[in-house]
Amino acid sequence: MHWLEQDSDNRNDRTEARGSGSDQRVGGPPDVRRERDMSISFQLNGRPTTVAGDPARSLLDVLRRDLRLTGTKQGCDHEGECGACTVLLDGVAVRSCLTPVAKAAGRDVVTIEGLGQSGALHPIQEAFVELGAVQCGYCAPGMVLTAKALLDREPAPPRRQILEALAGNLCRCTGYLRIVEAVELAAARLRAEATPGSSHPRAPVSELGAPQRWVVGGDATRVDSVDKVTGRAQYVEDLRMSGILHARVVRSPHHHARLVALDVTRALDLEGVVRAMTAADIPGENGLGDYSRDEPILTPLNGTCKMQGAPVALVVAASPEWAQAGVEAIEAEYEILPHIFGIEEALAEDAVSIYPEGNILTTEAEAHGDLEEALDRSDVVLETRYHTTWQEHATLERETLLGYFDEKDRLTVVGGTHQPHWQRRYIAAALKLDTERVRVIMPPTGGSFGGRQDPWPFVATALATYGARAPVRLTYTRSESFEASPKRHPYRVRYRVGATADGCLTGIKVRVDANTGGYDGHGQYIANYALTASGGPYQYRAVDAHAQTVYTNGPKAGQFRGFGSPQSVFALESTLDELAERLGEDPLEFRRKNAIGQASTSFLGYPVAESLGYQEVLDSIRPRYRSLLEEAASFNAGSSSGGLRKGVGFSGMWYRFGKSGTLRIEAHAELSQDGGFVVYCSAPDYGQGTNTTMAQMAAEALGVPRGRVRVVNADTARTPDSHIQGASRATYFVGGAVCRATHVLREEILGAAAEMLDRAPIDLTLAEDRVLASPSDATEGVSGRVHAEGAETSVSLVEVAREFDRIGKSRKTRGVFDLSPLFPEDTRPEYIPLFVTGAQVAEVIVDTQTGEVVVPRVVAAHDVGRVINPLDARGQIEGAVVMGIGTALMEEYVPGASTGFGDYYLPTAMSMPEIDVTLVEVASFEGPYGAKGLGEAAIVPSAPAIINAISRAIGARIRSLPATPERVLSHLTADS
Amino acid sequence: MAKSTTLSREYLYPTSVEEAVGLLAARQGGARVIGGGTDLMPDIRRGKLAPGCLVDITRIPGLDRIDVAQACEAKPACEAKPACEARPWSVTVGAAVTFTSLRNHTFLKQHVHALVEAAASVGGPPIQNAATWAGNIVQAMPAADGAVVAVALDAEVHIVDEDGARWRPVESLFEGPGISAVDPTRQLITAIRFSPPGFGGSSSASEAKPAWGTAWRRVGRRPALALPILNCAVAVSLEEGLSGRSELSREGRSIKRVAIALGPVGPRPERMREAESFLTGRMPTEEAIARAGELAAGEAKPRSSTFRASREYRLEIIPVLVAQALSAAFARAEPTVG
Repeated sequence: MHWLEQDSDNRNDRTEARGSGSDQRVGGPPDVRRERDMSISFQLNGRPTTVAGDPARSLLDVLRRDLRLTGTKQGCDHEGECGACTVLLDGVAVRSCLTPVAKAAGRDVVTIEGLGQSGALHPIQEAFVELGAVQCGYCAPGMVLTAKALLDREPAPPRRQILEALAGNLCRCTGYLRIVEAVELAAARLRAEATPGSSHPRAPVSELGAPQRWVVGGDATRVDSVDKVTGRAQYVEDLRMSGILHARVVRSPHHHARLVALDVTRALDLEGVVRAMTAADIPGENGLGDYSRDEPILTPLNGTCKMQGAPVALVVAASPEWAQAGVEAIEAEYEILPHIFGIEEALAEDAVSIYPEGNILTTEAEAHGDLEEALDRSDVVLETRYHTTWQEHATLERETLLGYFDEKDRLTVVGGTHQPHWQRRYIAAALKLDTERVRVIMPPTGGSFGGRQDPWPFVATALATYGARAPVRLTYTRSESFEASPKRHPYRVRYRVGATADGCLTGIKVRVDANTGGYDGHGQYIANYALTASGGPYQYRAVDAHAQTVYTNGPKAGQFRGFGSPQSVFALESTLDELAERLGEDPLEFRRKNAIGQASTSFLGYPVAESLGYQEVLDSIRPRYRSLLEEAASFNAGSSSGGLRKGVGFSGMWYRFGKSGTLRIEAHAELSQDGGFVVYCSAPDYGQGTNTTMAQMAAEALGVPRGRVRVVNADTARTPDSHIQGASRATYFVGGAVCRATHVLREEILGAAAEMLDRAPIDLTLAEDRVLASPSDATEGVSGRVHAEGAETSVSLVEVAREFDRIGKSRKTRGVFDLSPLFPEDTRPEYIPLFVTGAQVAEVIVDTQTGEVVVPRVVAAHDVGRVINPLDARGQIEGAVVMGIGTALMEEYVPGASTGFGDYYLPTAMSMPEIDVTLVEVASFEGPYGAKGLGEAAIVPSAPAIINAISRAIGARIRSLPATPERVLSHLTADS
Repeated sequence: MAKSTTLSREYLYPTSVEEAVGLLAARQGGARVIGGGTDLMPDIRRGKLAPGCLVDITRIPGLDRIDVAQACEAKPACEAKPACEARPWSVTVGAAVTFTSLRNHTFLKQHVHALVEAAASVGGPPIQNAATWAGNIVQAMPAADGAVVAVALDAEVHIVDEDGARWRPVESLFEGPGISAVDPTRQLITAIRFSPPGFGGSSSASEAKPAWGTAWRRVGRRPALALPILNCAVAVSLEEGLSGRSELSREGRSIKRVAIALGPVGPRPERMREAESFLTGRMPTEEAIARAGELAAGEAKPRSSTFRASREYRLEIIPVLVAQALSAAFARAEPTVG
């Protein structure tokens, strides 16, 4: 019997070319699926379902496009590399992107939408939410389903088996630990359910932070994780809009080439193509404003493409397939120019000239003291040289944006970013529109790590929407994302550092070269961050520091978690480790001896402005460091190690947080008519959790449960401008403004209620939905009237809101967090000296015969100020540690070669170490509730700790990232 | 990328091998066998292949089975496996068997470590849930984990087409990187079979625990979801005759047979014949094992790859991998345990 049959005489010749999606309603009749097409029937989430079309289409496309089940995510180019599309086929976890839909015939398909019963979460989903296993959420549906398949088969899997089962699902945010713990918790609960009379196991909250310290009385779970874990969250790729068109980009295939001819007519001849746009079609500025000063939106005719993937034209079409056909029909001709990738080549005297002004974009310098004298008086002077490489953000969600005209005819772009208001400005400039005619909205976003600061996708989407006068979605393919999105800057760092025999640093000379690739992309600012981080929180008698940003024809570099700091810190902390080794000093005590104090003059020539917890960090990590050192020594002394060597590495660090954009941040808070609270702020949440943090801080300031607060976040039409969210500033700056706005609102509410109740505001409290008068001995009101027995002692917030309206008082308040008075204009350093510190210790095992490295354990201690959300703070650190393993051991983008997750190695669950996190709390002076920035700082010490561990294990210094097996082995053979 | 061209495709589930062969033949090259589809789907998407008809063999009854025929001489009715009389047991793996099924198979887990570990090395678990051993072999990639281990096991495949059916050694199927002698537009593999190494002779197979073992060693850029820098499968057996009881060291028994397969060190999964013949008849001493590793490095011809490793690195670690795999296999062959 043939299960699937078709009438081969009636060929539906549109199905493939147009896609069978429901998106293409423009430029032709709606897609008609002929009844005589092959039809495929299966059970989908328990319901009989029949679909038609090409039986070899991926189940993923059929689920998302035909059946509109968008909980199943796509992270790669249908290559089975990421796991976001995992579904269950007869209870077995499979890649829906690699599964022809015909394989579903007669079977049971379960997607994330089919999990849980009658609205209740499945215990796995519940555990994911509870334990903070969901950050950006893009991997969550696939993870949950993979876990379900495992637990259905193995009710009590040991951790190793969980890691193996999850090894096919990439997560870029969490570091996997919360996910693994959630699976363990869910397993325990499912077993308990299966055993009548046993109790429901509780989450191990005791390990997650003391509940009484939680700012909002205990609830640290994300406000949006239920949506993400059920597949309900609407990321941009999931949004539907009638008449939507699709944009794709024509990009230069050459690393360095002049565009000598460009003809779009053949593309326009295609039936499904609506528009083909070149630089000539840009009404305003063909650039990205002050963000990337030399980067055109589309390279103009006779202009030069400075990197592979440089965009030259946009095609807007009825379907992604038509758009791709249009891209292929555009004829572009190039004059190929010689290209260079390396810093050394770019700085050579006879270097290929990438820009007429030369290959250096910016320089920064800092010098004080007499360096030569300081080095002369040193007992040891070390010269070192370190290299890092390009890194890809590799967020699970690809660049995806949606443009349309909103109800007020504003050109609106929905897309994940750090700076909606700046994106609005770039769009307005490119389209020659008033900024008021443009709107940018932040949707749920599948990770950023800095990658989504790139204005290009915003401006391109706006241009396409403007040109087509219709809704347009731009989605990068994964390989396009690899080719065209910004990368982490590769560095060359050179040191000359001196120390006395008793372990005191004397002088430091540092030269940093940062490779910005073909375009600025904010690389103009990287030199300053590179320089700042290159000295660390240590004291020197003399400093001579210089950093510069260098153009090459590599991919444009941009923001990446830690913005310019991790590369410098890798070089510095490696150099200090070498120095400690030479001096016979303990690495941790050596740092401690040289660490700056609260009032010391820093490497930068002035003291720090925020509380500095570095000594506390070092003290807190010392015991674990010592015990790991001892374990490693005894392991290595054992004869049965079989070519394996254990090493323990230490790294400290500081990270300058907070300053990106303005020092003055505004937020609004509102008492709504229904008596609830709304906060309006711009603290974009791309997965790191600001939607939750802001709600927590607002609720704390108001004194109400978090559920009473709704956050409207990052919509230029509704929320105030917070400039750009970088440098881990959201909690500190925007949180500060939210606290002030809500504090003011509370005062005003209590003031109004005091009038209404005839009590003093000080006697009133906010609770849930009412203002309560505290029980008091006094029966005399503030007005002098005597209250009768049973007089009104509370008033509802609905009534208070009504009272505001009655007296014409705004229910919206403004809060401003402003550090500019602390730093008067005339003495303010360009970047204000807010620093956080942290330290990590890594344990590694090196196979000295093959160079393979595993990281069994990482201990992390970070000064976070006061913890706002302990789950998320830990989640940030755990995710950073695993990302740091990628940096140290695996990740390396090769220009012109890297295409996606298949050749760019991200850590999987199998690479997850045991992670011990200590949140060191040294309250900040200025931040809300004493908070400081954390998200970026956490990544900074990971790679150097691991590299120091490897170097100490093998007795040879690794000086370039990543430490691949080959690189490690080459050090072993070279030095033996 | 398909543009406005027509593509209307059939997808067929034959219910017998004969039907599958007939369907392929009737479409004269326009149809193609699909197993798990994990390699085929990307090829179709990229336009590398555009079959008008896919013949899915994974629902043919019986092809999802793993059969272990033990002590065949005690089972004269073993008609399906004509060559197995001389073998103490043989394993027959159907063409629809996934790597997950191999990984989880009780007998294989106990007795054929290399196969189970190789199966666990393919992609990640969701890939293993769909991908088949047979498909992996037909893909004919030089470092395919399933192909490399099949070559070490001296596995044979059962190929069926219009002309009939025959068993052929897996090793004879590879005609170049990605080029297989099996033509999936007209042929299909129905099963893969193998026996313990060294049991082709006339010796009595009454020994409860044959003196043989297998091992798998793989180096990659990360522990999962990565193509190998190198993979190595070995299968060894020791001469019988000596009792092999615990008082005798394994140096007391010489090597009867050894197979060493490596990938990617050439255009296809490669056997290291020089190293194998060097070891055969010798005692499995540490020195002999080390020498075999060096010989393997001498005959292997790896290339440099951008994302995995250089030729030099691969050559450097071949002796290590081969020696580690051999040591593990000899340790398993040692019948002192139990």
